[in-house]
Amino acid sequence: MQKNSQRTLADGTRISDLINLETREVAMRTLSDPELYELEMERIFAKTWVFLGHETEIPKSGDFMVRDLGSDSVLVTRDKDGINVSLNVCPHRGMKISTLDCGNTQAHVCIYHGWAFKPNGDFIGAPVEKESMHGKLLTKEQLGLKKARVTIYGGLIFATWNIDGPSFDEFLGDAKWYFDTLWCRTDKGMEVLGPPQRFTIRANWKTACEQSASDGFHVLTLHRWLSEVGPYRKPGSEGGGGDLTPEMYGSEVYTAHAHTMRCIELDRKIRRLTGKDPSELSVKEKLEALPPPGVTQEMIPELLRNLSEDQLKVITWRPPQVGNFFPNGLFEFVYIPTPDGVIGVMALHAYVPKGPDKLEFVNWILAEKDTPPELKATMLRLGVQLLGTSGMVEQDDSDTWPHQTIAAKGAVSKHITLKYQAMYETGKPEGWPGPGDVGDGFTKDDTQWRWWQYWHELMTAES
Amino acid sequence: MLQNLLEPTPLPPSVRANRLAIGSPEYNEILDFLYDEAEMLDNLRLAEWGELLTQDLEYNAPLRHTRSTAQFDQTYIRTVQHLHESYGSMLMRIKRITDTKSAWGEDPPSRVKRMVSNVRVYKTDKADEYKVESYLLVTRSRFDFDYFDLIPCVRYDILRRIEGSLKLARREILLDQVVIGTPNLGIIL
Repeated sequence: MQKNSQRTLADGTRISDLINLETREVAMRTLSDPELYELEMERIFAKTWVFLGHETEIPKSGDFMVRDLGSDSVLVTRDKDGINVSLNVCPHRGMKISTLDCGNTQAHVCIYHGWAFKPNGDFIGAPVEKESMHGKLLTKEQLGLKKARVTIYGGLIFATWNIDGPSFDEFLGDAKWYFDTLWCRTDKGMEVLGPPQRFTIRANWKTACEQSASDGFHVLTLHRWLSEVGPYRKPGSEGGGGDLTPEMYGSEVYTAHAHTMRCIELDRKIRRLTGKDPSELSVKEKLEALPPPGVTQEMIPELLRNLSEDQLKVITWRPPQVGNFFPNGLFEFVYIPTPDGVIGVMALHAYVPKGPDKLEFVNWILAEKDTPPELKATMLRLGVQLLGTSGMVEQDDSDTWPHQTIAAKGAVSKHITLKYQAMYETGKPEGWPGPGDVGDGFTKDDTQWRWWQYWHELMTAES
Repeated sequence: MLQNLLEPTPLPPSVRANRLAIGSPEYNEILDFLYDEAEMLDNLRLAEWGELLTQDLEYNAPLRHTRSTAQFDQTYIRTVQHLHESYGSMLMRIKRITDTKSAWGEDPPSRVKRMVSNVRVYKTDKADEYKVESYLLVTRSRFDFDYFDLIPCVRYDILRRIEGSLKLARREILLDQVVIGTPNLGIIL
């Protein structure tokens, strides 16, 4: 793991000294240090694949949207050949090319000196062609926007500046087997229900992102209202009220590149819905009793066709419900009990770094394209009420992360450590068919610790 | 079809000819309503505020987009929004704060001032309903932070007279910011 322990900060601290790999502790200073932040932008956000949005946000040729790839603004565009991602900065004098959030154009023209670019980033030309405003030293081919490498996976747009680096599949690694059960389960795939919510939190991006790596424990306390008056208040037959502990059992998956997930057990819900012992039900019967979020009875044959027997076993037993894409993506595929039955909510977040003490929370709400319109509307309402800007769940998170960030500046507190010492001791649950490292039972810290292990690996890597 | 299901019911137009004169008795009554409402919310009298809502309430806050001047009408997004509430979900938001010990996003609560201005009142084609436009500037102070979060917005309300009293039946909040500058909308606007 410690490839280059010589990497040091200006005060002489080695980056590898910020993490104790044996005792699973991280120096609090990492949650606010400006020097580390600059290094993270280079060594993490300019190196890994980063989630930028969904292809259904820009359905037509010429559609574009402006997003952030780490600390850089990028143009995400569609042309007849597909999706492109280019630096949203003019190679002439560094003006931001598009100052809008989205639109449609076949020529992105810089308002400063008029240089124009195709949706794919190629240089079209500068004004007064015959006077060669762009000079003769460089060819037009050399004057395009800087282009990122792009992958579309299950409709999700990922990009990286690491042109010769690992493929997207290599980056996902063992997580792909699970993610396919979410993003690639139906024939038509998913769509966003609108543009994302965006809001600013005065907190370091890692406060949100280390939590996104499947922190189960925080739900018990920070989101306790869910069981006090919210949707997870248990029925009287199960003891009623107050305790979120039953929601904390299942499997937790953590993979080499720190993509993790909590696979929360459905048995109680299925027993409640069917009155039967889930172990006596077939995969098909369980899917019909409790279809995954956004899936209807009509779509179940697609799942049976598109997923393997092993994948079907997992999604009807302990499906991935919350988890992360390293470095800064989070997904939620949650089953919300309501008076009208269990309603699924699907959301994606990006926690965009905006300096050592600020992040932008971007929240997309999704449904399957084939989800009936009425159900889409219900999923959207419930998503807005629980998640994102005003979400009754996530407003508690947004108030926590700033305090951690401030605390990380204290002369004393910056040296105390974040601890990830609750460890699985059992290995994979019996009969678990999926890959990766898997813990069984009550939630633990292994997923978040994996997040920090990979952070450390990238921050101390040779190049 | 989908768009219609995702978006809230459109508001009636603001017709100049139907505007109530500033200072007229009905106008003053509505101004009182808005001031009283602000006072209730500023002082965490949330259950009391809940009694001002009609059971068919629609309460929403569109997203904003930065678009060109020519596309100004496309700067409001009403599919995914920051808030899209019904009477039931609004009562749940209140209950979360009043009936639990763990509504941490607002516990301890923000110190908030809701400054209401630029109030215009229109009669609608329903005899018992008024359309009310107001500017709202919210200042929000959290913890010992030395800055205020500012939340400027325009509100489009439908107030309905029920058994003599005014109730809030519809509110649309148009926020100025594309990227909301306060960490959550855990307060009522």
